[in-house]
Amino acid sequence: MRNTRDTNLLFELSETGRRAHRLPACDVPERPVGELVPASALAAAPPALPELSEPQVVRHFANLSQLNMSVDTHFYPLGSCTMKYNPKRNERVAAMPGFSDLHPYQSEGTLQGMLQLLYELQEYLQEISGLDACSLQPSAGAHGELTALWVAATYFRDRGEKRTKVLVPDNAHGTNPASAAMAGFTTVTVKTLPSGTLDIDDLRRHLDNQIAVFMITNPNTVGIFEPRIREIADAVHQAGGLVYLDGANMNAILGIARPGDFGADMQHYNPHKTFSGPHGGGGPGAGPICVTEKLAPYLPAPVVIKTTEPSPDPSLQGRETDRYHLDYDRPKSIGRVRAFFGNVGVLVRAYCYIRTHGPDGLRRVSENAVLNANYLLSRVKHCLPVPQGDRCMHEFVASAAKVKTEKGISAMDLAKRLLDFGFHAPTVYFPLTVKESIMVEPTETESKETLDAFADTLIRIMEEDADLLHDAPHTTPISRPDEVRAARQPMLVWPETY
Amino acid sequence: MPYLYNTPEDQAAMLAAIGARSIDELFAMIPADMRLRRPLAIPPAMSEMELTQHMTSLAAKNTHAGQKVCFLGGGSYDHFIPAAVDELAGRGEFYTSYTPYQAEVSQGNLQVVFEYQTLIARLTGLDVSNASLYDGGSAAAEAVLMAISSTRRYGKVVIAASVHPEYRQTIATYLENLGVELETIGTPRGVVQPHDLAAAVDDKTACVVVQQPNFFGCIEDAAALASIAHDAGALVVAAFDPISLGLLKRPGDWGADIAVAEGQTLGTPMQYGGPYLGIMACREKLVRRMPGRIAGQTGDRRGKRCFVLTLQTREQHIRREKATSNVCTNQGLFALRATIYLALLGPQGLRDTANLCLQKTRYAVERLCEHDRFELAFDAPTFKEVVIRDRRGRVDELLADALAAGFLAGVPLGQWYPELHDCFLIAVTEQRTRNEIDSWTHALAKMT
Repeated sequence: MRNTRDTNLLFELSETGRRAHRLPACDVPERPVGELVPASALAAAPPALPELSEPQVVRHFANLSQLNMSVDTHFYPLGSCTMKYNPKRNERVAAMPGFSDLHPYQSEGTLQGMLQLLYELQEYLQEISGLDACSLQPSAGAHGELTALWVAATYFRDRGEKRTKVLVPDNAHGTNPASAAMAGFTTVTVKTLPSGTLDIDDLRRHLDNQIAVFMITNPNTVGIFEPRIREIADAVHQAGGLVYLDGANMNAILGIARPGDFGADMQHYNPHKTFSGPHGGGGPGAGPICVTEKLAPYLPAPVVIKTTEPSPDPSLQGRETDRYHLDYDRPKSIGRVRAFFGNVGVLVRAYCYIRTHGPDGLRRVSENAVLNANYLLSRVKHCLPVPQGDRCMHEFVASAAKVKTEKGISAMDLAKRLLDFGFHAPTVYFPLTVKESIMVEPTETESKETLDAFADTLIRIMEEDADLLHDAPHTTPISRPDEVRAARQPMLVWPETY
Repeated sequence: MPYLYNTPEDQAAMLAAIGARSIDELFAMIPADMRLRRPLAIPPAMSEMELTQHMTSLAAKNTHAGQKVCFLGGGSYDHFIPAAVDELAGRGEFYTSYTPYQAEVSQGNLQVVFEYQTLIARLTGLDVSNASLYDGGSAAAEAVLMAISSTRRYGKVVIAASVHPEYRQTIATYLENLGVELETIGTPRGVVQPHDLAAAVDDKTACVVVQQPNFFGCIEDAAALASIAHDAGALVVAAFDPISLGLLKRPGDWGADIAVAEGQTLGTPMQYGGPYLGIMACREKLVRRMPGRIAGQTGDRRGKRCFVLTLQTREQHIRREKATSNVCTNQGLFALRATIYLALLGPQGLRDTANLCLQKTRYAVERLCEHDRFELAFDAPTFKEVVIRDRRGRVDELLADALAAGFLAGVPLGQWYPELHDCFLIAVTEQRTRNEIDSWTHALAKMT
C-alpha cells in the first residue's frame, strides 16, 4: 500500500517546464531588470530548483509524512524529550491572524493583546519557578542555558569578580558543558554516585572562588529528585557561585516544588516539552529563563512591562487602563541573544497550555506523569533492571547490561525491535553513567492500556531469539541504516547532475 | 483535565501495582520542606471554548498585517504563503514528531532535511547546508564563531553597519565573553566603501560580515568586499535574503564562505518575530566546523537508499564542551515549510517573486518621491527595501498618522541609527498591489 514513486526525491520528480505556484502579472510599469540592478550583482539564471506541479508536491510530502512516527500516531516514550499530546486547540488559536500575522516592528499600540499575553506568561513562568524575573527571548533550551550563563558572566564582571569555571554533573545533558564553553567558561565535571544522585563530596572538592555556576538538572537525568538539593545549593552559594537549574524535567514538579524554593538562582524552561510544544520534527522550541531579583538587570532586552495609564481610547474618557510596553532601557542587560522578540508562536501555545490547566491542572499533569512513569517502571523492572531503584519521578533509566551479557541483546536492539510493534523507542545510551541505558518517559497523556501494551511487548521481545533483534526492525520502511558509510563518505546534498 | 486518560480506577490499580498508597507517596523523594504548600498563583483552568474565546479577545486587541497594508520589513516580511505549505506542514505526522533519532521511523523528516539541505546549497551556490538553526540573527553569530575557530584568528571580527542591527547586537553578545573584538565599519552612503573595509581588515581578522542586499535594501559591491577579505586571509560571512536569489548572484558565486539567512521569507508567517528559520550554508572544507544537525544519504542493510543524521561527532551530545556549538535541535518545522515553499515556486516562481518585489519597490519609490517631502536616503541600487528620508523630520508622527489611515507604513530607523532619525525603511513585497501602493503614497503625501 506504500506509494514509493512519489517519495522519490524532489529532484528526481522534477520535469522541466512544470510549475505549481504562479504569480499574478506585474501591475506596475515594468522596467528591464538590468536598469535597476548592476550587471555584476545579477545571476545568469535562477537557482536550479526542482520543477513540479502542485498535486505532485502535495502527494510527495503527504507520503513522506507517513514514513514518520509521531505523537499523533504512536506512543513516543523518548526519555528527556517529554513527548506528550500536543493539543489541537492550541494550533488553531496560534494560527489566528491576530497572533500569526503580526510584524515584529509594529508599534506597541497595535500589539496590546500580544504584549499582554507575553507579560502574563512572564508572570506565570516566574510563579511556577519561584523566581523573580523572566526573559522570553531565548530560542530553545540550550539557548536559554547560554543566555543564563551570559547573565552570570555579566553579573560577576559587574561585581568585579573573575570567575572562570562552570561545574556540570557527569550525567548532564551535553548542552550544559557545550553552553559553558560557548560562554567562555571552563567546564569541570562533578561525579554522581551509583544511586544516581550527585556526589556532594566531589562537588565540595571543586568549590572555590573560581566557581561561577553549578548547572544541575533536577529531577536529574536518571529521573530522580536530588534529595540534598538545598545542601548542594547552599554549598555553591557559600563559595560565591550561582545555581543553574536545567529545566528539561519540569514536567515532574509543576505546582509541587519550585526551583527558586530549593535554591536555584536561574533556570530555563522547555515549553515545547513541559507545555506541550509541539516538537515540529526537531523544532521550534523556546527557552525562556527565570532568575532571581539580583540577576534581573542582566536579562536580555527587551522585556515586557505593564503600566497603568489613561486610556488612549477617546470613548473611555481617560479612564485608567493597563498598557503593555517593551522595555529596552536596561543598561546592565547582556544585550540581544537573537533577532526580534523570541519564539512567540511557541510561547502562545505555552500560554494556552497553562491557561487550559490552571493551578490544579498543572499539578495533576505532574502527578500523572510521575504515576505513569512509576507504573511502567513497576511493570518492566523484573526483566530490565533499573539501577536507581524502584521509584522515579517522570522518567526512569533502565539498563540492558544484563541481557547484553547473557544473550547479546543490546539497548539498541531492544529499541529497534520496539519499532516493529508500533512503539517509538525510548532514548538509548543517555545518560552515559548507566550502561546500556534505556530512558523511558511515558508522559501523563498515555493510558494504562498503552503502558501495559508497551510493557508486555518489551517483556515479550526480551524472550525472542537474539538474531531476530539484531536484525530489527523488520517492518519499518527501511532497515538499519549504515551510519558508518554516512559519516565516512558524506553525501549531504543531491548532486545537480546525477 | 482534557489530556489525561487515567480514571480514579486506573490510578488505584496503578498504585497497587507500584506498591504505593497514594500519588503523594510517589513524591516522597522530594523533601517535605521543599514542597509547595499552596496552589500556584495562576488563573483557574479554562475549557476549550473559554480558551478560544479568551484568545480571540486577546487577538482582537492586536492589529494584524491583514487589517492594514503592510510596508514593514527589516528581516521579516509579508510574503505570500501558498495554502499547500500550511496544509502539508500541518500534518501531525510532521509537527508532532521529533528529531529523527530513530532513522527507521523518521525517513519522512530525514528526507525532508536532505531535500532542504540540497535546496539551500543550490540557492546559495555553496557546497553544504546544515538542517537549520534558530533564526537569522543567531545563525549569523554561529557563523562568526565558526569562522573564528576555523581560521584560529581570535583577534577581531569586522562587520558592516549595513548588516541588520539586531544581528550585530546578537553577534556582540556571543563575542562578549570570548575576548574577540567586533569592529563595525560605518556605511554613511548606505553601502560599504571598499577602502573602508581594506583599512579595517588585518591578519588577525577571522571574518568579514556583510549583508546582501543589506539592511537598507541596498545592493553591496559584494564581490569586491569578498576579495578584500580573502586577501587578508579572512573568511566572508554573508547574510542574504533567500527571495533575492531569484535575481541576484548567489553568495557562493560572489565569494561568501559561509552564508546565513532569515528563512522566514520561505513560507513562514511573521508571528511577531518567531519562531523562524536560521539558514546556514558553507564551503565543503568548513563542514566539520558547522553547528547543528546535518542529514546525509546512505543505504540500509538491504541496500535501500535512506537518510540519517550524520557527522555527529561535531555535536554537543557526543563532544560536550568540545562541540562546535551547544545547538541541539534544528527548526525542523520551518525547514519543512521552506522545502515545500521552494518546491511549489520552482526556479521561475522564485524569479517572478523576486522580480515583482524589485519592480514594485521601484514603483513605490518613484511615486513617493514625486512629493518634495520625501527622498531616497541613499543612491545605491536596491532590491525590495529602501530607506526614505522625511525632509520634515517628523517620522514618528508620520508613521502614527499613516497607521490611522490604514497603513503599516515603515520602520523608523533612529532607534538603531541616530544619524537616520529622519528616515524610515520600507519593504514592498510581491503582495502589494498598485492600488495599495498608490493609496499609501497618497496618504503619506497628505500628512502634515
